[in-house]
Amino acid sequence: MLQLPSLETLNMGAALPAISIAAWACILLLIDLWIPKDRKILTVYLAAGNLVFAFIANLLVFNQSGDSFMGMYVADQFSGVMNLIIIGTALLSIVLSFDYLKRVGIERGEYYVLVLFVTAGAMFMAAANDLILIFVALELLSIPLYVLSAFRAPDIRSEEAGMKYFLLGAFASAFLVFGGAMVYGATGTTNLNEIAASAGMIIASNSSTSLFLLLGAALLLVGLGFKVAAVPFHEWTPDVYEGAPTPVTAFMSVAAKLGGFGSLLRILVVGMSAVTMTAGEPAVWQNVVAILAGLTMIVGNIVALSQANIKRMLAYSSIANAGYILMAVAAAGSPGLANEATRGALVYMLAYMFTNMGAFAVVIAVERANGGADLEHFVGLGKARPMLAIMMVVFMMSLTGIPLTGGFIGKALVFATTLNAGLVWLAIIGVLTSVVSAYYYVRVIVNMFLRDAEASTEEATPGYSTGVQWVAAVALGGTVLLGVLPTLITVLTDRVSLVASITP
Amino acid sequence: MVVQTESFVMLSIVLFVLGAMGVLLRRNAIMVFMSIELMLNAANLALVAFARYWGNETGQLFVFFVITVAAAEVAVGLALIVAIFRSKRSINIDELHEMKG
Amino acid sequence: MLEITPNTIAFLVFALLSVGGALGVVVSTNLIHGALFLIVSLFGGAGLFVLLAAPFMAAVQILVYIGAIAILIIFAVMLTRSMTSLSEIFNRQWWISAIVAVVMLGLLLVGAILPVWGPSGTNAMLPVSDAVGTTVDLGIALVDGNQFVLPFEVASLLLTAAMIGAIVIARDNE
Repeated sequence: MLQLPSLETLNMGAALPAISIAAWACILLLIDLWIPKDRKILTVYLAAGNLVFAFIANLLVFNQSGDSFMGMYVADQFSGVMNLIIIGTALLSIVLSFDYLKRVGIERGEYYVLVLFVTAGAMFMAAANDLILIFVALELLSIPLYVLSAFRAPDIRSEEAGMKYFLLGAFASAFLVFGGAMVYGATGTTNLNEIAASAGMIIASNSSTSLFLLLGAALLLVGLGFKVAAVPFHEWTPDVYEGAPTPVTAFMSVAAKLGGFGSLLRILVVGMSAVTMTAGEPAVWQNVVAILAGLTMIVGNIVALSQANIKRMLAYSSIANAGYILMAVAAAGSPGLANEATRGALVYMLAYMFTNMGAFAVVIAVERANGGADLEHFVGLGKARPMLAIMMVVFMMSLTGIPLTGGFIGKALVFATTLNAGLVWLAIIGVLTSVVSAYYYVRVIVNMFLRDAEASTEEATPGYSTGVQWVAAVALGGTVLLGVLPTLITVLTDRVSLVASITP
Repeated sequence: MVVQTESFVMLSIVLFVLGAMGVLLRRNAIMVFMSIELMLNAANLALVAFARYWGNETGQLFVFFVITVAAAEVAVGLALIVAIFRSKRSINIDELHEMKG
Repeated sequence: MLEITPNTIAFLVFALLSVGGALGVVVSTNLIHGALFLIVSLFGGAGLFVLLAAPFMAAVQILVYIGAIAILIIFAVMLTRSMTSLSEIFNRQWWISAIVAVVMLGLLLVGAILPVWGPSGTNAMLPVSDAVGTTVDLGIALVDGNQFVLPFEVASLLLTAAMIGAIVIARDNE
C-alpha cells in the first residue's frame, strides 16, 4: 500500500536547484499580481534572486551525487554542470529581456515566470533518468517557449513564430512518445539504467528484438533532433528565431539545445551504450549520429553564408553549432570514450552559451539603436560604438573557433575526442565547415569596421541600456576567460562520468 | 483467445503513419494539429498494448502523462491559432510567410 | 493469424473505427467533419483500450480526449469561422510528403513487426499477461515516492504553465 515518502528517502536535497526554481515560479506568479505595472523590475529581481539561489545550491550539492526520487532524477556531476550552464543562460536572458520588454511594450510579469518554467524543464531534462520524465520535462521546456515566441502578440511575425514552433514541436513530441513506446515495448521498462541492462541482454541473445529497440532509439533521436535543430529536422529554426522577440531567441537558442542534448546524451550514453553488434565495437547508433552531425554542420554553415539578417544568420549558426555538439555525441558511442566526449560536449555548450548570449546582446543593442538586425544595420558600428563592435568581434571569433576564445577550447576538445573515436572524416568535415563559417562571421566584422555608414544614423539614440551592457560584458568575460583559462571549467567537467557503472 | 500484441502494434503503426501523413500533407493549422493528436493516440495504443504484454503498469502511466501533455498542448495551440486568426484572418500554414528565406 | 472469436471481432470493429476515422481526418475537406472523424478515431482507440485490459485508460480517453480536447478543437474551428469547405486540401509539397510517409510506413513495418513478431520472430509465441495493474495500482504509482511522483508533479507544473501561456496569448492587449 501507499507509503508516505519522507524527505530523506526521496533525497530531495539533491534535486533542490531544479525544485526551488519550479516552486518559486509558482509563487512568483502570485507575487507578481501585487507588483504594480510600473515597477516590474521587482519581478526581475525576484526571478534573478531565485536563479542565484539555485546556482549556489547547485554548487553546494555538486559533489553529493545521488539519485533523487528513487532513480527518477539523477543528481550527478553531469546534471551539476548542466544546471550551472542552464541557470547561467536563464540569468543572462532575464537581464537581457527587461529593457527589451519595456521598449516594445510587452512588459508583463508572466514572461519571467515562463522563463523560470523553461529553466526548470531544461534542468529536469538534463537530470532525468526515465523516458517518462524526459518526455514530461521536455514539454515543460517547450510549451512555455511556444508562448514566449508569441509573446509579442499581436505582432504577426511573433505570433507566426509561436505557431510554427508549436506545430513542429508537437510533431516532434509525437515522434518522441512513439520512440519511447517502442523502447518500452522492447525492454519492458522506461528507466534508463534498466533499459541499459536489458539492452545488453537483448543484444547478447542476438535476437531480432534489437531491431525493435533500434527503431525506438531512432524515433527518440528524431524527436530530440527537432528540439536541438539538427538537419534534416531544422526547417523551423530560422523562421522561429527571426520572428520571436530577440531575448527569447537568445534564450531558446541555448536553453532548448541544453535540455535536448542533456537528454540525448543520457538516453544514448546511459541507456544505449551497450547496443553494439559485437562487444568492444562502437555502439550501432554512432554512425547515424555521425551522419546527422556531418549534415548539420554542412547545411547550417553553408546556408548561413547567404543570410542578410543577423538573427537568421545566428539561427543557421546555431544549427551548425548543434552539429559540432552532435559530433561529440557521436564520439561518445565508442567504448571508453563516453566520458571524454561528454566532457567535451559540456565545455562546448558552456562556450556556446556565453558566446551566443553575448552576440544576441549586441544584436539587441543594434536593433534598438538602428531599428533592425540586418547586416546593413551593423555598417559603421566600429566608429559609432567601438566598445560594442569590439565585443561583437570577440563573439564572432569565438563562434569561428579562433584561439584565446571559449569557442576554440570547445572545438578543440570536441575535435580531439572525435579523432580518438576514429571518426576522421567527421573531424575533417568539422574543420572544413569551421573554415567556411569564418566567411560569414568575418563579414559581420568587415561591415562593422571597414564600411562607413552613409552618415545618416541618428547618434541621439543610446546604444545599449545597462542590462544589455552587463550581459555583453559578462558574456565577453566568460568567453575570454574560458579561452585563456580553460582549467576553470575542466576542473568541474573532469569529474563528470556518465557511465561509471557500466564497464565496456 | 485474446488478440495478440502484434496486431495492436501493427495497427498503431498504421495510425501513426496516417497521422504523420496528415501533418505533412494538410495546410490548415487545425487539421495539422488534429493529425498530431492522431499520432499521439497511436503511441498511446502501442503503450497500452505493451503494458499488457509486459504485465506492468508503466505503459499505462506513460499514456496518462501523454494525455496530460496533449491537454496542455491543445490549450496553448488553440490559443495561438485563434490569436493568429484574429490578426490575419487565415490559418493556412502555407500563408505563414511574413518571413521568408 | 486471427481466429474468429468475440474478441477478434471487437478488435476488427474498433480497428476499423480508428483507422477509418484517421483516414477521414487526413482527407476531409470540412474542418467540422474532420473533428468528428477525430472523435470516431479516438472512440475506436478507447474500445481497443478496453480489449487491452485497461478500462481506466479507456474512460480517461473518452473524458479527456473526446470530452475536452476534441470539443476544444471544435470550438477553435468555430471561433476561426473556417468550417466551410477548404478550397485546397493539401499543401504544395504533398507528393514529397506522400513519399516520406510511405517510406516511413515501410520502414516501421519491416523494422518493427516482421522480425520480432513475424512467423519466425522471437516474440511470436509469448503469451500475453493479464496481470496488468488495476486503477488502484495506477493511482498509487502516481503518488508513490518510489515510482512516478516526480513526473506527476512536473506534469502539474506543465498544466500551470500551459494555462498561463494560453491566457497570455489570448488576452486582449489594452
